[in-house]
Amino acid sequence: MRRSHLLGLGFMTPAILLTLALFIIPVVLTGVFSFTNMSTSTGITGGAYEINPRSIRLMKDAGLREGLIGDLEENLYKIDAAGLAQVEKDFGKKLAEEMKGAYDGQTFKDRRELVRAIKDLKSRPRSSRDLNKAADLFQKSILNVRYDDESAFLNGLGNLGITLQDGEQAELTRFAYTGWVWTTENFSNMAAMPSTYRAAFNTVLYIAFTLTFNIVFGVFLAVATFYLPSAAASTFRTIWFLPRILPHVLYVILWKWFTWDTGFLSQVLEPFGVAPRNWMMDTEINAWVSIVLINGFVGASLGMILFSSAIKAIPSSMLYASEVDGASRLQQVRYIILPQLRWPIMFTSIYQTLSLLTSFDYIYLATDGGPGSSTTVWALYAFKTALNNYGGNLQYGFGAALALVLVGIGILASVLYLRLFDFKSMNAAPRIEQ
Amino acid sequence: MRILIDNFTKTFGTTTVIRDMTLDIESGEMLALLGPSGCGKSTTLFAVCGIHRMNGGRLLFGDRDVTTVSSQDRNVGVVFQNYALYPHMNVFENISFPLKIRKESKADIDAKVREMAKLVHIEDLMERKPAQLSGGQQQRVALARALIRKPDVLLLDEPLANLDAKLRLEMRSEIRRIQQETGITAILVTHDQVEAMSMCDRIAIMNKGQIVQLSSPSEMYNEPASAFVAGFMGNPPISFLDGTVEGSSLRLDQSSIVLPLPESSRPASPASRVKLGVRPEYFQPENPDKVEGKISFIEIQGRETLYDVTLENGAVLRSIQSSGPLHKLGDTVRWGVDHSRVLAFDESGARL
Amino acid sequence: MTKNFKTLPVYILLSVLSLPLVIMYAYLVIDTFTVTTPGSLVPGPFTLHNWRFLWEPAKPGQASIWAATLNTFLFAGGTMLIVLMTSATAGYALSRLRMPMRSFMLAGLIMLHAFPTVTLIISVFLILQIIGLYDTLIGVILVRAALDLPLGVWIMKGFYDNVPWEIEMAGVQDGASRFTVWWRLILPQIQPGLAALGIFSFLQAWSEFILPQVLAPGANAQVLSVYMQAVVKSETQMDFTLFKTIGLFYTLPVVVIYLIFNKKLMNIYGGGTKG
Repeated sequence: MRRSHLLGLGFMTPAILLTLALFIIPVVLTGVFSFTNMSTSTGITGGAYEINPRSIRLMKDAGLREGLIGDLEENLYKIDAAGLAQVEKDFGKKLAEEMKGAYDGQTFKDRRELVRAIKDLKSRPRSSRDLNKAADLFQKSILNVRYDDESAFLNGLGNLGITLQDGEQAELTRFAYTGWVWTTENFSNMAAMPSTYRAAFNTVLYIAFTLTFNIVFGVFLAVATFYLPSAAASTFRTIWFLPRILPHVLYVILWKWFTWDTGFLSQVLEPFGVAPRNWMMDTEINAWVSIVLINGFVGASLGMILFSSAIKAIPSSMLYASEVDGASRLQQVRYIILPQLRWPIMFTSIYQTLSLLTSFDYIYLATDGGPGSSTTVWALYAFKTALNNYGGNLQYGFGAALALVLVGIGILASVLYLRLFDFKSMNAAPRIEQ
Repeated sequence: MRILIDNFTKTFGTTTVIRDMTLDIESGEMLALLGPSGCGKSTTLFAVCGIHRMNGGRLLFGDRDVTTVSSQDRNVGVVFQNYALYPHMNVFENISFPLKIRKESKADIDAKVREMAKLVHIEDLMERKPAQLSGGQQQRVALARALIRKPDVLLLDEPLANLDAKLRLEMRSEIRRIQQETGITAILVTHDQVEAMSMCDRIAIMNKGQIVQLSSPSEMYNEPASAFVAGFMGNPPISFLDGTVEGSSLRLDQSSIVLPLPESSRPASPASRVKLGVRPEYFQPENPDKVEGKISFIEIQGRETLYDVTLENGAVLRSIQSSGPLHKLGDTVRWGVDHSRVLAFDESGARL
Repeated sequence: MTKNFKTLPVYILLSVLSLPLVIMYAYLVIDTFTVTTPGSLVPGPFTLHNWRFLWEPAKPGQASIWAATLNTFLFAGGTMLIVLMTSATAGYALSRLRMPMRSFMLAGLIMLHAFPTVTLIISVFLILQIIGLYDTLIGVILVRAALDLPLGVWIMKGFYDNVPWEIEMAGVQDGASRFTVWWRLILPQIQPGLAALGIFSFLQAWSEFILPQVLAPGANAQVLSVYMQAVVKSETQMDFTLFKTIGLFYTLPVVVIYLIFNKKLMNIYGGGTKG
């Protein structure tokens, strides 16, 4: 290894580590997580073993043996040391010793059976209330008891005298496990859910309209400001560039103020007999128009900047020549300027398609995907599924599966994007051979 | 210091650009590496300064083998075509940079820089940034920076290419003066034969990664080893005539014109193909061996006039005459070739 | 630039299209300094009442805005520093140094710089949970920097590519090591690039919402965007004047930075998109 190799790798190390940890590994893990059922209830690190009403329901749905489910649901009564100690405390040593002698280690299926057994003893309590109370001290149930690992869980089952038939053990532990497990269900669910298709459709709609707006306005702004004196041009450019740097939260608030029923539009239109209404949210169409405008007013500025510098690169002699030849302004734009923008337009389109595909923060802040889910694009859908679900149970696994689709599209598009570059010349060897 | 490039081979990937080149540069000599672009002259220069590694062969500075020594430890001064002055440093900082890297004392640096500035005549410019200097001044600063730490060899990479015509003349003699005053061994890389001839003690002319001739400027001009060298040296360039040998003469292709061959260069076999090189100054009205043709181009250069004369077979002979323009375009003329000064080459281009 | 055409129609068209933005900007400033009457667009008398959140909590139970402001500075500044340092070195290595796997890294860089990063937020969220950086400023700074990095390296590489090789060669001939060449000769040449990238990543991080909202929503790491959204969410009645005032306070630094440095910032769009 030469010294400059070391220097080069040393210079790359911080970038590589950071990219690896928070870029490459997340890509891989998105794939990994998408094959799990991770959610708030399963946790993300690991789980415990517990039979609870939910798992009982699942077992019933899965058609497990009735008897076993009955055993699990049942309260059992088992004579053990802990129970006996309690009896000694509450009812005296005599009863405790008598019970220990007669029934130690025995299991009773229900309270009645145990009470009947206690009644057979000499030092039994008199009232039936006390009898019940004494019996209750031995009540045991697997329900809602957490076991940290599988063997403790099976031990617990054994202690309660719940017997498992062949093959039931694996199934039971599976249902009892509260942590996450590997699954492909995310993808089959995805294919089965209508909301998936709605989100996909919304995404296409969103990209198509916003991109068109961005490019058309970008070209228009670049061309229009090109014909203005530089002070005026830079004023307009600043007006249009500001949304790009304004905090997203504020920018969307401004739009809400502009469009909501207590806001600007309603107030201006009121004297004309238009009832105040929420222009942003009252219909699906309006919500869509808002989304496209909110994103478009930000996105157009990228095109504006890139196209402006492309237009500036046109030799002015070419423009003068066209004017001498008698071209009108529209003709000049059509035949001289637009052809020069072909490459930047293509570049911007691909770049913005990729970022629109995955951007959702303006939509999230503005309509939150509504009304209904009419403006929920794929990325927002994934985000809400995994990280922002008011229902409380965040489905990380399913969200990751949704995100994985975008990651896949992103990788494909990035490969295409790589082709846009003259990689061979970029890859030319450094000229100092040290 | 004597510089020896011994059996130097350079490859880029799978293509070999220079194979087994050997070049011996004497101490205190200024040598030109001359050739068309892509001939390998810059590659050679980069190998001498250590920017490129050598794939084969040795490089000696005096007795010291520096083949594997890094650029930093080689003690080579380089002046680049675009001067490569550090834009954010002023002239003083630029020149003193090599000394600062060596951690020399401030007083030493100061004294050496002053001395060097005096040598290259830039004493008044020390506070300026490179952007505030003219091309010629930048060139001087670059020279000063290259010479400040007394390098074993000074490399000049097309040093005049970025200057306008007038400055080019001035810097040509300035560089030569500075080189001679310091007595440093220097290698000049250029594609301009005038530069090479006017500045250097010897010229190594390169083509396709080979040194095709190494000799003094006048010898190179008068006794070129090949048609390539003859074509490269001289401005206006030499003109070539193709023909077949008939006894002691040459019959030009598709014509009745017969020219005597110089006695020193008769080909061994009769009826062989020969290329004749005629320099413009040896094709004059008063010379004996007359050739008839029509003037097809006139270029008035002030002191001299250049004529292109197209012969009956379409070949062109060039003539440069010190008189004013006496002839018109389209005139038929009968001018003569000085056959003792004509250069004859065989089919492969080698000198006969 | 050219005088042969009338500019008036252009002015009119541009002004009409820019009107919504101009109205928003204007009322953003007007409303925060005046008494606003619901249902009226006519500004009332001047008041600083709307700015009272600067010295008392905006809502009962809300933290002071100054903690969030400090966090935002740390977040944006930290992101900027990390992006600058890593991009300045990695960009140089990719532009100028020979090293193993160089072309692989270059191809990876181009792909990553176009890669849609927000998709990764779910797994980044889980990773931060696992490694214990969830809900910390450090965590969200590292994530923001990592996601900005490919673009940053790409832009810096573009700037390095434009520094003549001869400067580098001259430095090496003058006896300087490659590190010294980079530090003393090349870095000074790419200052415009560093400035542009620094401003760019600072502004980006300053305005960022989703990442801090998801990765560091807690009170200790709360930045202004999360703070502001929390105020918005806690309101049942949309008090636009309050939101705008907080928003104006929040956005003031970026607008000032933009107005001062916009020429420098624009370099990024030249450097970053060269093919």
